Amino acid sequence: MSTIAETSPRGQARRRIRFDGWRWGGRIFLVFMLLYTALPMVWMLLTSIKSGFAAMQFPPQWWPDQPTLASYQKLLDPQNSVGQDFLRFFWNSLFVSTATTILSVIVAVPAAYAFSRFTFPGRNFLFFTVLLRNMFPAVIFLVPLFILMRAIGLVNTHGSLVLTYLTFGLPLAIWLLKGFYDNIPVQLEQAARIDGATRFQAFILIVMPLSTPGIIATAIYSFIGAWNEYIYAYTFLSKNEQLTLPVGIQRFFSENTTDFPGLMAASFIMSVPVVVLFLVLQRYFVRALTEGAVKH
Amino acid sequence: MTIVTGKTEARRRLQPGKSGVLRNIWEHRADYAYVLPAIAVMLVVIAYPIYYTIELSFYNTPPGLQLRDKTFVGFNNYTAILTSAVFWKVTWNTLIWTVGSTGISFVLGFAAALALHRDFFGRGVLRAILIIPWVISAVAASYIWKWIYHSDFGIIGAVLVGLGWADRPPNFIDSVSTVLPSLIVVNIWREFPFAMIMMMAGLQTVPDQLLRAAKVDGANAWQRFWHVTFPHLSNVSTVTILLLAVANFNSFIIPWIMTGGGPSNASHIWITHIYELAFGRQRWGVASAYSVLLFLILMTLGYFYVRALSGNDRKDGSA
Repeated sequence: MSTIAETSPRGQARRRIRFDGWRWGGRIFLVFMLLYTALPMVWMLLTSIKSGFAAMQFPPQWWPDQPTLASYQKLLDPQNSVGQDFLRFFWNSLFVSTATTILSVIVAVPAAYAFSRFTFPGRNFLFFTVLLRNMFPAVIFLVPLFILMRAIGLVNTHGSLVLTYLTFGLPLAIWLLKGFYDNIPVQLEQAARIDGATRFQAFILIVMPLSTPGIIATAIYSFIGAWNEYIYAYTFLSKNEQLTLPVGIQRFFSENTTDFPGLMAASFIMSVPVVVLFLVLQRYFVRALTEGAVKH
Repeated sequence: MTIVTGKTEARRRLQPGKSGVLRNIWEHRADYAYVLPAIAVMLVVIAYPIYYTIELSFYNTPPGLQLRDKTFVGFNNYTAILTSAVFWKVTWNTLIWTVGSTGISFVLGFAAALALHRDFFGRGVLRAILIIPWVISAVAASYIWKWIYHSDFGIIGAVLVGLGWADRPPNFIDSVSTVLPSLIVVNIWREFPFAMIMMMAGLQTVPDQLLRAAKVDGANAWQRFWHVTFPHLSNVSTVTILLLAVANFNSFIIPWIMTGGGPSNASHIWITHIYELAFGRQRWGVASAYSVLLFLILMTLGYFYVRALSGNDRKDGSA
């Protein structure tokens, strides 16, 4: 980062004459991408503050004549039935995602450390087996997992979701963290061991703190994945009070197909936690990718 | 030094037969404790389902989940699939969907990463906005775009009519010819940020000295990109494209929520089709056979994925 900051002013002055075309091309492209990315989200927000009647007009009201927060009030009001359902879905999602995140970190950290440091037989084979999990679509595992979950009594529980989500997040988590541990000098641990620390103490006291950005990135990735997951939740859960947000919203709006302001408000509320989480912690994520997955 | 120990160890291992390998495993027994939780979870949730899917693909199953009554039919499920017209239709859709989404997402993401690489005012904010679609739920994205594409009150239709380019709002996702491209636009919207993040991370590893040296030698911007930056990013690009391709091949939510595969199978891709066969029409045997075929295709992709990754590892070892 610092090198970019140092070199760019000089570079700009010299390049301005020769490469204007590239820079303008880049700027125009970025404006186009900004519109492509942001306009749908802006339209979601504008629709969510219209009344149901105002949303169903042609030509549309580009800016709502009478902005109203009625949709949000309806969804977040614990007094009426819609609000009760929605808030319950929200808490279910929060519980499942948090549990998945904590377990992912607990499982991925030692595994990634072992793949990075130790040279036990079968290491590469096991590492690639873990990565191969990413190759297979959720649908392939649906039927057998459904039967498996029924056999161990987890159908219609949040435990079935946590267990399955764990396996989605693990491969990338282990891969990211392994790259991180690869970049931490072994000498640091060796020094600690000479000073009398056990291997475990060296791991906890030296390696863990240095890999915090990687762990944060792993946690974000697991949380977002679990929060947004749809197929398993759609298949494994049938009781209304257990649904997570994506399925709950879908089920709710297949009954009220024309309530687009409500749908947009629900989509917005569903997006807020993950977007905020990501924006606050995104520098860790990009850094983890740079140091963990890409830099070699 | 490493070569010598490697040779002696190999000789030692050759002489007592298998015991060397076993001893090696025994000596490293404590190391396995670290990976055991990960492997255990994986085994339960992967190995068993794979086995079960393969078994089920050779059976005819009665509707409902009373799978005890299944009857063995050999390869009938497979021949039934390969001779059905729907299969080829769905395969063609999947191909267009995967190649189109992956290619365009990668190009857009890479271009955005390049354009964002140099510092300018507001870069951080712009980058954050561009990443948001990747973070939000695909279910939310599907509903947002369904509303945008709405055939009566959709904003795109209204703009087209307002500009006089269309007499009445077009039917984007209810028409056989436009449904797949319309869904691909939604998918790219959600996916290009991933390519962008990966390539941004990759760009930070391109050594500045090389670029400066190329400039001193008189290379122009395009030549510097094509001969220095791009070759340096070949590994990251391969991994990114493979991850995108696999994710697209496996995508489900956007077609399922936006169209459910319709109209007349025009937006059915493999996964939605398998899901409908299994959970809609309760034809578990055929759905499993489909899944096994999918396995085979993905294993081929997986082979290249592992090769690209181990290419990374080899470089890591030598660096």
